[in-house]
Amino acid sequence: MVELSRRAVTVGAASAAFVFATDATAEEVVKIGAIYPLSGNSASAGNYEKMAMELGADLVNKGDPELAKILPLAKGGGLSGLKGAKIQMVFADNQGTPAAGQNQTLRLITEEKVAAVIGAYQSGITLTASAVAEKYGIPFLNPESVAANLTERGFKWFFRVTPVAADFARAYSAFLKEQKAAGRKVDSIALVHENTEYGNSVASVIASAFAKDGLNISMKVAYSANSTDVQPQVLQLKEKNPDAAIFISYTSDAILYAKTMKEQNWKPAILIADDGGFNDPAFVKAMGSVCEGLVSRSVFAAGKPGSVAAICDALYKKKTGGDGLDDVSARALQGFLVMADAINRAGSTDPAKIQAALRATDLKPDQLVAGYDGVKFDDKGQNILASTLVTQLRNSQYVSVWPKSRATHQLILPYKGW
Amino acid sequence: MTTTLLLQVVVSGLLLGAVYALFSSGLSLIWGMMNVVNFAHGEFVMLGMYTAVVVWTALGGGPWASVPIAAILIATLGVLAYFLLVRHIMRGPMLAQILGTFGLALFLRYGALWVFGANFKTLPDDLVGHSFILGGIRFEGSRVLAGVVGLVVTVLLHLLLTRTSIGSRMLAVSEDATAAQLMGIRPQRMQALAWALAGAATGIAGALIATFFYTSPTVGETLAIVAFVTVALGGFGSVMGALVAGLLIGVVESLSAFLIGPVYKDVIVYAAFVLVLWFRPQGLMGTN
Amino acid sequence: MTARRLLQIALVVVVLAYPIVTAGSPVWQRLGALVLLAAISASAWNIVGGYAGQVSVGHAVFFGIGAYSAVVAFVHLDLPPILGAPLGMLVSVAVAAVIGVPTLRLSGHYFSMATIAVGELVRVLSSTSDWLGGAQGLGGPAMPRTVFDLSFVSAMPYYYIFLAVLAGVLGLTWWIERGRMGFYLRAIKDSERAARSLGVSAGRYKLYAYMLSAAFTSVAGSLYLCMFGFVDPESGFGILLSVKILVMAALGGAGQLFGPLVGALILVPLEELSNSLLGGQGAGITFVVYGAIIVIIARFLPSGLLSLLERRPNAPTKAAPVNPSPASGHAD
Repeated sequence: MVELSRRAVTVGAASAAFVFATDATAEEVVKIGAIYPLSGNSASAGNYEKMAMELGADLVNKGDPELAKILPLAKGGGLSGLKGAKIQMVFADNQGTPAAGQNQTLRLITEEKVAAVIGAYQSGITLTASAVAEKYGIPFLNPESVAANLTERGFKWFFRVTPVAADFARAYSAFLKEQKAAGRKVDSIALVHENTEYGNSVASVIASAFAKDGLNISMKVAYSANSTDVQPQVLQLKEKNPDAAIFISYTSDAILYAKTMKEQNWKPAILIADDGGFNDPAFVKAMGSVCEGLVSRSVFAAGKPGSVAAICDALYKKKTGGDGLDDVSARALQGFLVMADAINRAGSTDPAKIQAALRATDLKPDQLVAGYDGVKFDDKGQNILASTLVTQLRNSQYVSVWPKSRATHQLILPYKGW
Repeated sequence: MTTTLLLQVVVSGLLLGAVYALFSSGLSLIWGMMNVVNFAHGEFVMLGMYTAVVVWTALGGGPWASVPIAAILIATLGVLAYFLLVRHIMRGPMLAQILGTFGLALFLRYGALWVFGANFKTLPDDLVGHSFILGGIRFEGSRVLAGVVGLVVTVLLHLLLTRTSIGSRMLAVSEDATAAQLMGIRPQRMQALAWALAGAATGIAGALIATFFYTSPTVGETLAIVAFVTVALGGFGSVMGALVAGLLIGVVESLSAFLIGPVYKDVIVYAAFVLVLWFRPQGLMGTN
Repeated sequence: MTARRLLQIALVVVVLAYPIVTAGSPVWQRLGALVLLAAISASAWNIVGGYAGQVSVGHAVFFGIGAYSAVVAFVHLDLPPILGAPLGMLVSVAVAAVIGVPTLRLSGHYFSMATIAVGELVRVLSSTSDWLGGAQGLGGPAMPRTVFDLSFVSAMPYYYIFLAVLAGVLGLTWWIERGRMGFYLRAIKDSERAARSLGVSAGRYKLYAYMLSAAFTSVAGSLYLCMFGFVDPESGFGILLSVKILVMAALGGAGQLFGPLVGALILVPLEELSNSLLGGQGAGITFVVYGAIIVIIARFLPSGLLSLLERRPNAPTKAAPVNPSPASGHAD
């Protein structure tokens, strides 16, 4: 423990200008850096993730009696493995640019002397930011970026908790095949995706998975996410009228599509929206009433009362003033808890020990906020137990409908809309 | 593909184009009057949109309330921007305008993020009546309202500039400020008036767009580029030019997105724009 | 004179010693390199935007070409990224010719608007090309293979590389400024019509300046790729990048040798430090401050910060017209 306190003291001295110390007495703290888009086009998602991690830090530092029964980490009083050291989150804004992501990661590591870094939402920024952590030998945990190449770089310090695009594609494919088997018509599928990294990568993975599974993608529509208008695309869809449509969109375009589909009075029998904008609480609040029965995927569903997910959802609602956990914030909170658990087991802020503890991570489904089958990393740092749920929007709330083992509600088709 | 469907595409393009014209006419007016390009124009529209959102959430008022309020607020913002900033940077090189108005854009955009948060806001979609069908073509109430007001405001601005004495005084200042001053016209007053008019038109545009669009702090960025292209294509300072260019861009966008693919619609619009400038460097309706 | 000489020597020493002095703080050391990198692209822009007065708002096109050339050299040819830099320069010069011939005929804001449109055009097209990694972008070497990959933990090597390149760009600009071409460019900037009537081939010299400017902006892009190891359409060709390059030069003083460097010296630390201090609060305060400072400088020093040094008590202040008459669409 000598090692820790010395570190904590130098940290305090070195960054006096940046830290708003909550307590005058030099309390032992473990700093975790978090790098997220707090400004720019993805600021909405970044700020939800920030609140999720602040909630996570509160759970460890202050605790929650109900949650502590299932999750020992949440019994309060800091990290037990480090004699009650408190977790201090240090947030940095990646401004939506790879350059800012890298500059800020360097600052978190060298100035703030964080024990580990979590980030960074956009895959491209996760790529550049984690490269700095790798060079400095600091654990970098990614809760939510889905680009396949992130874990193919031979990095030793990179860990990813989230499922990747291939997992989503498998889930959709299995889901649609089940619908087909149940007698629903799924002969033509439209794949509509925005044209930046997120939409393109997910769309191409879905396209190849569906081709393998014999599902017919009859039309592919790529569009720019900052379009001022999506009427032509909706009219195109209306003309071709596919049996099912899959949308891969950000919030801005998701809102436009939902509005325009109602304006033009078109709806497919099965409407799937790949997470993204359709899961943004702002979208659900504004457009939920005209998207009844929308099928989406999420790692989060509140589940049964008394579960980790349900308790965290309630606590998060209290923190945000109404917005519950969604796919993005649940993955962020889960990422934080994985990191906190690893540091706790490492019993030290030594990067190598945290890295070893992360490698040894083995969390069971009932200990998770996210609906994964568990958390366990392979040699590349990918969580091999990551999986996704298929959800459906009911009365402006997403509920889990697939796979059957995790479903809380019965799937209702066809898509009702408004 | 049926004719009705194609007609529907054209109609949505025209309605969109009328909105483009509406939020570009303010930019065009300023550009024509003062040879100033306002890089914060998109942020003016964005603030007009937030006005509509606030009027609805705080007072429950629809566009009938938010449009006049937005017009007054953004006109005031325009006059303030003129007296505090633009008046001074006009003395410097053209670059100073870009510098100053771009700084203003960042300030307003992120000021909005600070005040309103990053979340996307939308107005209820039945705020402006429901959609109706006419000759097999669907019309959405909010878009029709925005399109019609867009046409009316643009035409009124044009008439004001060409048919009234205040308009001819404004044009006199834009042609030669010193000569106008000798004739007893006060250039600064006329220029401030131009900023007020442009601000009002932009505020109206923002409040109307908010009824069928999402509102977020960065939405101005998306709209500003369209406005720049519309104004330059229409011909500098020509309000009617902005109208023609706006309608044209709306239809070209809609048709190319429908027939070729939405990713390429921007490519086609930008390419068409560069081509037009190649043959008519003064824009469609600009005078040389 | 001696005092001035002493000051110059002191400045050179400070510049050379900076990364050694800041060796204890990687963040400050890196900040120095970032300033120099920004100064390279802003100085390159200055050749056409400052000296020739052709305000390009689309220089990200060349920055992106440089960055993509470097990453393509690695991804498709398995070469160290920096070897893509000469290729990037060649492509940039060619692209500059293609863009410049039609657009440089336009004057004033029309040229600016056309460059914005071309920039957006290139950005959209790049995101549809699978060879360029599409919208996902392309990454450089994940781990440095040899020293030629220019992938360092410390910012010190970057600092000196960037310094050398910047010195080259400034040296060339200085040489142009004093030569015949500089004279022509200034004449074109003041009045293109007058320059033409004196027999200056305005179109040709504007194009030369544009191509030269493009080549060096491209080098900045290649160096960026080496340092950050990733480029996608937004970070390579985004309009914000074009505007930032311009703002930096204008803030310091466009058309002056050291203007862009001064602009970079103010804006880059301002952006980085305000983001470090305020960014984590997540309310965009960083850019509120950043924007406000730009507005204030534009308001009080419309010709840039360097104009502070020029004001001498007895010198007649240059009377600019209160209301410049609007430029016509045509350049001639």
